[in-house]
Amino acid sequence: MSTIAVPGAGVQRATLASTDHKRIAASAGVLSLGFFIAGGVLALIMRTQLAADGGVVSQGVYDQLFTMHGSTMIYLFVVPISLAVGLYLVPLQVGAAELVAPRVALAGLVLFACGGITMWSGFLTSGGAAAASWWGFDPLSDASHSPGSGMELWIFGVLLVTVGQLLWAGCVLLTALRRRAPGMTLMRMPVFTWTMVATCLLTLFAFPALIVALALLWAQRHFGGVLVGDLGAVDYQQLFWFYGHPVVYVMFFPFVGMVGEVLATFSSKRFFGYSAFIVAVLAFSGLSMTVWAHHMFTIGQVTNKYFALTSTALVVPAGIEYFDFLATVWRGRLRFTCAFLFAIAFVLQFLVGGLTGVILASPPLNYDLNMSYFIVGHFHYTIFAGSAFGLFAGVYYWFGKVTGALLREGLGKLHLGLMVLGTNMTFFPMFILGAQGMTRRIAAYPPSMGWQGLNELETAGAFLIALSVLVFLINVVVSLRRRRPAGDDPWQGHTLEWATSSPPPRYNFAALPAIRSYAPLLDLRESREAVAS
Amino acid sequence: MPDTHHAFEHVKAVYLPIAIVVFTLVVGAVLILLVRGAGRDRPGRRSNALRLELANAAVLACVAAFLVVITFRTETPLDRTVAHPALRVRVIAAQWSWRFEYPGGVAVAAVSTWHPRPALVPTGVEIEFAGVSRDVIHGFWVPQLSFMRQLLPGHVSRFDLIFHAPGTYMGTCSVFCGEQHTEMHFALQAVPAVQFERWLASGGSSA
Repeated sequence: MSTIAVPGAGVQRATLASTDHKRIAASAGVLSLGFFIAGGVLALIMRTQLAADGGVVSQGVYDQLFTMHGSTMIYLFVVPISLAVGLYLVPLQVGAAELVAPRVALAGLVLFACGGITMWSGFLTSGGAAAASWWGFDPLSDASHSPGSGMELWIFGVLLVTVGQLLWAGCVLLTALRRRAPGMTLMRMPVFTWTMVATCLLTLFAFPALIVALALLWAQRHFGGVLVGDLGAVDYQQLFWFYGHPVVYVMFFPFVGMVGEVLATFSSKRFFGYSAFIVAVLAFSGLSMTVWAHHMFTIGQVTNKYFALTSTALVVPAGIEYFDFLATVWRGRLRFTCAFLFAIAFVLQFLVGGLTGVILASPPLNYDLNMSYFIVGHFHYTIFAGSAFGLFAGVYYWFGKVTGALLREGLGKLHLGLMVLGTNMTFFPMFILGAQGMTRRIAAYPPSMGWQGLNELETAGAFLIALSVLVFLINVVVSLRRRRPAGDDPWQGHTLEWATSSPPPRYNFAALPAIRSYAPLLDLRESREAVAS
Repeated sequence: MPDTHHAFEHVKAVYLPIAIVVFTLVVGAVLILLVRGAGRDRPGRRSNALRLELANAAVLACVAAFLVVITFRTETPLDRTVAHPALRVRVIAAQWSWRFEYPGGVAVAAVSTWHPRPALVPTGVEIEFAGVSRDVIHGFWVPQLSFMRQLLPGHVSRFDLIFHAPGTYMGTCSVFCGEQHTEMHFALQAVPAVQFERWLASGGSSA
């Protein structure tokens, strides 16, 4: 393993074993995007099934499809890519030469790859892949109701990737706390870095609960007697959702940070309300550790009102973030780049997910809508219409920094248009179907229910999303083949990653500018303008 | 009196308009900001407004408090069970069937079907359902009543429901429970009390 690579030497050979945080992050990012495409293919098969009168796959296969779709998108795509972007950017944004404990981060990459392969290898077993949903709820996931090695491979796959993610979160958090450049105080850290700090704190507090839940599940399958008593099934849910709600914010905060950076840069303005935003993100994180049992309102075994109160209270920090987003754009000199437009789409579409979340936080409404397609629509608006758009805003923004070549704006706008159309066609009808009584995770429905038309619309939307992703992939290939050099700072960015070459050298910076605020490069430009005038 | 559907409509009538207004306001604000920002030469310099932030947070907190009060007031009677219901029905869910057991040994079963034989219930009175699962977690969901409750293995969940209008109420398993989850439905047919008593007395045969 070449731990100290000389810049420019042995580049290809060292890629997979490199301890350069940028290489580790790039590998993790590419791997996550691969799983995104794989999980998307599963979704297309499901959508085809639901439009074609249930005639494409059997119920048992359908169960494997949605289990692996959800598991892939959460454990193998959104969570790892959230942390991967942090692995890449946090050292650069705080002016560090390296990540803390890069070998640990490399171990995290290996665990992620092994875990993903382990989980997906379930498809090769005679019983097929796991089919007990991405929750793996006991007793459905126990040895008698889910026999076979698909479920075992799922447990070990999720365990491995989760341990890997914990390692990454530790590395990123410690880098932000311990490796900041001179002058980079905590309250001068960029917005994205702060959202990664919150993300890593949530990861470190919540993910161990999943590891415990999976270990108990494994022991229950092999020895029994673990999740027992008349509420043993509830015990698993408590542990699972103690992970399962904070993970929603792990899949959200990094994209809030990316969108914040993108809006500020393309409004040519300092990010608005920095201190209030940081306080809101930290309050959001704390509060989000107290809301997990709103997933359990319909069990009748938790204090619904407490969890309704904490869940509804989330509108306060969320509203502060929205205020700061809009105020950043206010009086800005706007540049309508792909990154900026994806960020605007994030702001508008995530709002639908957020507002339906407030609705679901009310038990009298949740008693009806929980487990229906309404909830499927809700979380796809947060994770896909929200986070995935935030991710693409980040991709169009930082692609030039990572590769040295800019993505094509024209293809990017085609990608955006198709994806906005496809997303809303796919996920908005779900609210209506849920209110009409369509249950999630069903493989078919009789024509007499009257759900066919909206399901066909959703399926058409899903294929539009697939087409938009294809346009994105073409954009990547074209942009890398016929390179339009990005230069150090193609967008007039505000943060330190734009003060070095694209891609940055092994140790990130030849020299650092003075750091006097959370937007050091904007400071520099403003003082130059002041001198010039 | 836990009229679950009325409770749902009552809370929805508050939440949904607020959600639509907030969405419209934000979309409108974004559009205005985009249009006005498109041709601007020099960006503004202001980057914080503490008083506005605090005012925003205060408004949000008031809205949240208002929503929570509405929710709490509506939820309290929903979660209550009366001491002396007019009827007690046992609900037994299993992979993949429903079974409704009445006093006097009458039982109605529905096994893996979208077209189950209805179990009868009397209209206008409080009925206590005592639900349990024989194997994995199932969900007792009646969309027309806007109510669901998870049924756990080995633990009896009790809840009261009232069927105000006569008619057939379709029910479905809402918690994924394995291979034939798709097919796991039941039907409750609400009829006047007299007709219900006749049905029960006949051993559940004359509907």
